[in-house]
Amino acid sequence: MNLIEVYINEVTRRLPIKNREDIGLELKSTIEDMLPDQYTEEDVKNVLEELGNPAVLASGYNERPMHLIGPKFYDIYVSLLKMIVPIAAVIAFIVVLTEYVVGFGKGDTVLNVGLMILGEGIWNIVHVFIQVFFWLTLTFVILERMDCSKDDYPRTMSLNKWTPDDLKNIPYIPKERVVSKGYVLGSLLWTAVWGTIYFNADHLAGVYKDSGSGLEFLMPALNQDVLNSFWPLIILVLGLEVAFALFLFIKHQWTRQAAILNTIREIVAIIVLVLLISNSNFFNPEFLAYMNTILEFTEEQIKRFIIIITLILFLLFSIINCIDGFRKANR
Amino acid sequence: MSNILDSLSIELRRGTLTLAVLSQLRTQQYGYSLVQKLEKSGIIIEQSTLYPLLRRLEKQELVKSIWDTTESRPRKYYLLTEFGRDVYETLKEEWLKNSSELSKLLEGDGHDEFN
Repeated sequence: MNLIEVYINEVTRRLPIKNREDIGLELKSTIEDMLPDQYTEEDVKNVLEELGNPAVLASGYNERPMHLIGPKFYDIYVSLLKMIVPIAAVIAFIVVLTEYVVGFGKGDTVLNVGLMILGEGIWNIVHVFIQVFFWLTLTFVILERMDCSKDDYPRTMSLNKWTPDDLKNIPYIPKERVVSKGYVLGSLLWTAVWGTIYFNADHLAGVYKDSGSGLEFLMPALNQDVLNSFWPLIILVLGLEVAFALFLFIKHQWTRQAAILNTIREIVAIIVLVLLISNSNFFNPEFLAYMNTILEFTEEQIKRFIIIITLILFLLFSIINCIDGFRKANR
Repeated sequence: MSNILDSLSIELRRGTLTLAVLSQLRTQQYGYSLVQKLEKSGIIIEQSTLYPLLRRLEKQELVKSIWDTTESRPRKYYLLTEFGRDVYETLKEEWLKNSSELSKLLEGDGHDEFN
């Protein structure tokens, strides 16, 4: 007798309160119908065995799903997750990067800061992933339970049934033209790195000497005051690079427009570089004097040599980059 | 093999259960008598499937229920409604049509084997 009551309770406690009494009574009468007149505990067990797991029986009554997210919403859930997680991760990483670049203090080395950025960046990405995963899952779990429509068609991004017209919203991108997320992240990182070095060149870029206990910074190669005085132009170049990376990220492919913007960006960068490097106070005189003692060239020769090499290398890479953009766009 | 066979045959049977239950509710039945009637005709239905199914049919207004408290043991009886009767007749037609088409297919399959 006791087993029966417990079984019924196990079923009904999983049901909405308003149905409990009715279903409980019906179950009780059904179980008694199934039992012989004089029954033993063994008989009761057999009957309950036949009725099966109370949780399963209750879920049958409930008509509430026994899954978190069903086939109706699973595809759109996964698609959204794949779309949001990389964006959130990139933003999280950029935030960390900016914090460190802005707060770059004297005496920090690039390696130290780089490692710290990497460490905290990864930690932040994990954190953001957990947050996005939790909230998106929760949203869909609620959606699955709130959904009143009777049909079971899997939903598309528009939350409606799939039609062939949906295909028109999917751009067809040939493989060669695709811009990967890694490429975008890489160019953002590169921008951050050179921006950091530029504005901290007086204790990063220069002559290092191995002093036994690690590298010791001897003297800067460039004149930080000159570098700083160019800040509006440098901010312009930095801004163009970030904007272009985001543009590629949104477009997801190389187009003619992207290739033209890329060329404009490179031209602006080269002009700024020429203005900068041709400034007569660009180099730290101490540095030129030091180089003069090591190498058998005059200060003027060293200066010209560095300028020419820098310009040639920059021009070469810029031209390759521009051509590459057009080549990809025309695929 | 036997696992796949089990799940396929459960799938085959699942769609027919509602029809089988509706067919027996032209006269009023209580839960366990329905199980026995179905079992007698060789249809095995999990009880944990049947009782929720009855309730669902009631919610869809295909069947109605009456508590009979006159006997020593109170019982809940189920019976087709007008609407349920119409739905049952339509479903029955559809099933008969389907099964005759399917048997033609299956027989055709048999001929291929012998030719």
